[in-house]
Amino acid sequence: MELTGIGVGSQAVVGDVFLLETSDAVFEHRKTTHSPDEEASILSTAIATTAATIREESSGGDATTQEILDALLIILEDPELQEMARPHLDEGMDAPTGLFIALDEFAALMGDDEDFQSRVSDLRGIAARISAWTRGIAAGPEIPREGTWIIVAEDLTPLETSQFGESVVGVITELGGPTSHTAIICRALGIPAVVSVKGAMELSQGASVLVDPEGNRVVPGGDLGAATTAISFIPQADSPLITVRANIGSVADAEKASSTSARGVGLFRTEVLYLSANTMPSVDDQAALYTEVLRSAPAGKIIIRTIDAGSDKPVPFFSLEDEENPALGMRGFRLATDYPDFQKSQLQAIQKAIAATGRDVGVMAPMVSTVEEVREFKALCSEAGISQVGIMIETPAIIPVMPDLGGVLDFVSIGTNDLSQYLFAADRMHPKLGSLNNPWQPGLLRSVSAIATEAGKLGIPVGVCGESAANPLISIVFAGLGIDSVSVAPSAVEEVSSALAAVTMDQAQAAADAAIAASTPGEAEAGVRALFA
Amino acid sequence: MSSFVHTVTVLDPIGLHARPVGQIVTLVRETGATVTLRSASGSEAAATSALKMLALKVKTGETLEIVVESAGSSEPEALAGEIESLINQG
Repeated sequence: MELTGIGVGSQAVVGDVFLLETSDAVFEHRKTTHSPDEEASILSTAIATTAATIREESSGGDATTQEILDALLIILEDPELQEMARPHLDEGMDAPTGLFIALDEFAALMGDDEDFQSRVSDLRGIAARISAWTRGIAAGPEIPREGTWIIVAEDLTPLETSQFGESVVGVITELGGPTSHTAIICRALGIPAVVSVKGAMELSQGASVLVDPEGNRVVPGGDLGAATTAISFIPQADSPLITVRANIGSVADAEKASSTSARGVGLFRTEVLYLSANTMPSVDDQAALYTEVLRSAPAGKIIIRTIDAGSDKPVPFFSLEDEENPALGMRGFRLATDYPDFQKSQLQAIQKAIAATGRDVGVMAPMVSTVEEVREFKALCSEAGISQVGIMIETPAIIPVMPDLGGVLDFVSIGTNDLSQYLFAADRMHPKLGSLNNPWQPGLLRSVSAIATEAGKLGIPVGVCGESAANPLISIVFAGLGIDSVSVAPSAVEEVSSALAAVTMDQAQAAADAAIAASTPGEAEAGVRALFA
Repeated sequence: MSSFVHTVTVLDPIGLHARPVGQIVTLVRETGATVTLRSASGSEAAATSALKMLALKVKTGETLEIVVESAGSSEPEALAGEIESLINQG
């Protein structure tokens, strides 16, 4: 019975399952017969010894893992943490229990700090090592240095990935998404992985398993012959089927994009320019920056998105209050209501830069969900003298009212990352919701299809500037659905352009039909892949 | 005791977080200088305590003062500059 997930890498591998689980005895709260002073000294020795061991084990490994690991160790070594543990030792708890409680207390103190909360499980992982050392029990099974092992775990901490030796040939995790720590490290180490695999922990210890990242699946007992082969696209035409543009956020990005075959810019994220501004910059200062970016950008049309800030992407000169749900709060174009002067100044600056450079520029607003907002944005653009006006399609609410936007808009652009998050009511960063944010979800693809149809009726071009378009197969599906252009990170431009130059419109439409007909993401991807394998 | 104060704006998209904080602790320990970080709200943290610096909860776009005590440091400006580059390395 094969299991499905999200593949990392393209090479398939076969190996034996090695289940990485931590024993409950490590985490349980225990009382001690020692005095609090004795436990305090046990704790400081245990922390120092374990930290030294971990530093030794990880030395010579990859630099990113070492830096993260070192930061975690420095937190655990902070005498402050031992002081937080002390009251619990005074109550008769043993050293590891005091440490676990102190960590929980500190995590509570850090509240909704996303970076710290994402590190808590790593810190607990190291604390588990400290506990295992103190209590004289095994924290978890040691990965043998011999053999060919597929590590199977709920999720992996940097401590665990840092211990991978030659014998680790693949990874399967139950949690995590395409951008989780496990995925990033496996990509960096070149270890094939499938993450977000439901039922992974039920695989049998020692059993042979095929890790097939290209097929987004895990096959117990499968051999390499059953692996999905990566599709290599050989360009047949001189140019891609639809326009491929680049996503940028700065002058440096614009320069990088110019060295690719991108035909212009499909998404210029302007908020990056304002992150260090304590006061609202003048129109002239902004115009100078925009002029520099427009001059450096690759030839072709440039789509500028107005500022997309929010309480999770704060800009100093907006005083943004903390919100329960930043993704559903005051963000994007909604902030223009609170800061009309800024929105006007940004549009004036953009118009000045257009005049100074003579570039072909469209301007679009993020997070628009009503016809009134579209009209309001259009009025602001007209006032500033901007002639090509569009919006991002990110909220589900704007899709059914698209027929009412005729004559108002010149183009639309679909932000598939946010559109997925809002369609599925699934936080993009949530470790357990990776499968809902899978770009092959029929709910997303059929929505993109509906948007393309409506844009066609309005007679305006529709682009996709979300990360999903960086997947060559999905970019072909988008072309078949009637999308006019895709915009991807400069590093993905060549791969996507090659794929789009390797197929005909008939093939792209067949791919789109196959994707739209599917009821599950797995079927959608398999159906499209079968057409090009 | 005189001190050198350098104000920086945190540009890192996730604020003052675990990785730079760890590097600051290592750097400050190596130099043996007395360094304090002061947040815009006036809270202070010794630059040798990772927990205290994280607990300042400094977010993107907020300012932070790096206070280097001159007595323990031969080149306070250079040290403050190095700390700034660790905070905003992205």
